[in-house]
Amino acid sequence: MSIEKLQSFLAPNYENFPKGRTIGVVVLRTTQSETIFRTEGTGEPMCRESVQAGVQNTESILRLVMTKRKQVAPERRRGREFLRNHELLYTAPKSDSPCSLNTNAPCEMCVDCFLYGFAAGGEGAQKSRIWTEDAFSVLPSTELIGDRTINAVFETGTMRDEKGNASTALKTSEYIKPGVHFLDIATLKDVTADELRYALGNLLLTTRYGAVSSRVGRMENQILGVFGGISELPSSLELVQGVYDRLIAENVALEHPLNTNALIEATQSVINTWTNKRGISMQLSSEELDALIEDIDRHWSLDEQETFLKRLDESYQPYRQIKQQSTKKGRKNK
Amino acid sequence: MPQSELNLSDSPTFTTARLVELWCAEPVFFASRELSDTYYTEGAIGNYALAYALGWARAPYRLTGKDTGRPRYREDLTPLAGQHYILPAWPVENSPSYRFERFNALSDAYWYAMTNNRVATAREDLPLKRTGKKPNTYRPSNFPQTGRLRIIDRGNRFQTLVFGEGELPEYIRVGKFTSKVRVDVGEALPVRQLPADTYRCNTYLNSADLPPDLEPFAFDLIAIPPASLLKNLQFHGEAWQIGNFLIPANLEFLGGNSRE
Ligand SMILES: [Zn+2]
Repeated sequence: MSIEKLQSFLAPNYENFPKGRTIGVVVLRTTQSETIFRTEGTGEPMCRESVQAGVQNTESILRLVMTKRKQVAPERRRGREFLRNHELLYTAPKSDSPCSLNTNAPCEMCVDCFLYGFAAGGEGAQKSRIWTEDAFSVLPSTELIGDRTINAVFETGTMRDEKGNASTALKTSEYIKPGVHFLDIATLKDVTADELRYALGNLLLTTRYGAVSSRVGRMENQILGVFGGISELPSSLELVQGVYDRLIAENVALEHPLNTNALIEATQSVINTWTNKRGISMQLSSEELDALIEDIDRHWSLDEQETFLKRLDESYQPYRQIKQQSTKKGRKNK
Repeated sequence: MPQSELNLSDSPTFTTARLVELWCAEPVFFASRELSDTYYTEGAIGNYALAYALGWARAPYRLTGKDTGRPRYREDLTPLAGQHYILPAWPVENSPSYRFERFNALSDAYWYAMTNNRVATAREDLPLKRTGKKPNTYRPSNFPQTGRLRIIDRGNRFQTLVFGEGELPEYIRVGKFTSKVRVDVGEALPVRQLPADTYRCNTYLNSADLPPDLEPFAFDLIAIPPASLLKNLQFHGEAWQIGNFLIPANLEFLGGNSRE
């Protein structure tokens, strides 16, 4: 069982102090439909950034960026759907409402709160143990963006302005084409085996990202490598640059749609060199990686899901009791 | 505290230091100061943040009760006296480049409303609110839900000096969004002890870490929490020379002072 191979980098149970156990995950995210990742605020309509093309190829290119905040929110939401379904979201102490993201009222007790953290809540704060990173497209953005002309919408969100005049303006709207590849690194710190299953399950089960709409934003996530160690993998930017160099060296045509198998091979050959780096101890072999993903799929299957989530939820129980006792004591002393 | 323990940190400390370059693989954000709804990151990376990021001290994952609003720098960092020290990191170029981003917090509920600096999700509170009452979910939040951030841009490089032995990680995470930063370690340079005189420091310093007998004359202040940084400090006192860098001697976290 491959999860045992990772054992020395997993926590036996939730602990409050960091111990440096680090799981690094290399993720390939591929758009399956038109997708929209807008920059927040001013600037270009689609998230893109000028970065060095490769490590050896030093010219600058514009790459699409899927920011870390655009990844983690949908993945947390996905997990929380299952928690809600099995009644594993708790009532927030501050507002008497069920645990909810970003409402200033986290329950501080559910799986999501323990693993992904929460800020300024009722009584405390929890740091996230799932660290994401901005992901980059392999190809330059010029290859990957399509244009569509649509009727402009007024600020009221309708086709009519405040005086009731219909919109006559047309504007172009950009979208990311289907089949665009983003390379990404996720880092899990001091997680237990079940927390690893939960976080990677969220990643594999999330299929919608970006601007909310029923027809856009479909994305498939694939795990290409899992590492264990006491420190982090290189950055996703360095990964995508290494892969770009490799694709050029292999004479792969750098045009959209990019051959997925060629891309996966190039990525494998880049990440296979990483175990020599400081603090990265081991990489799962491809058989071990397959076994890990099978293990995750089994735990999330309809038959086992409830047992799995309840077991994970219960693992935090000792910690919840300590907290309740200490607050009770505090009140008595006052 | 027994006198003998205090004297330990008075003995000469570091014989070598390493020049370290930090490369921002991601944009880096610290809430250095706030103007209206905009949060500015200053062009420096504080040395307390770096000490935690390098794994020298470990802050707990969960903070409860009083600890939530109270930093643990004194408990966590003063035990490092004589073993590890790092200066605040300064930009390699004269001024780092920044980017602006807008942020807003959204809920995972299908229905939500933006209220008084807060996202409300209880639809049943809406009629109550219309009658002029203030349901709990509509009360103002004490932390911001929308605003703008000035962030150190990706690709910026910073430098700092690291004192003490031990391998450094190749990548660290810093700032509010745990941004990835690559650590490129240079070779160890000797620390030369210079006698008390008047000197001008060409690195950034943490104002809380200066030795008590140092006489500062002039400096530029970078006012950031938890302790302001100084640059271009002119001072009278003993100094350390490391390569081309000149800094006050005997720097320690919080001046090595572990008392409250
Ligand atoms: Zn919760």
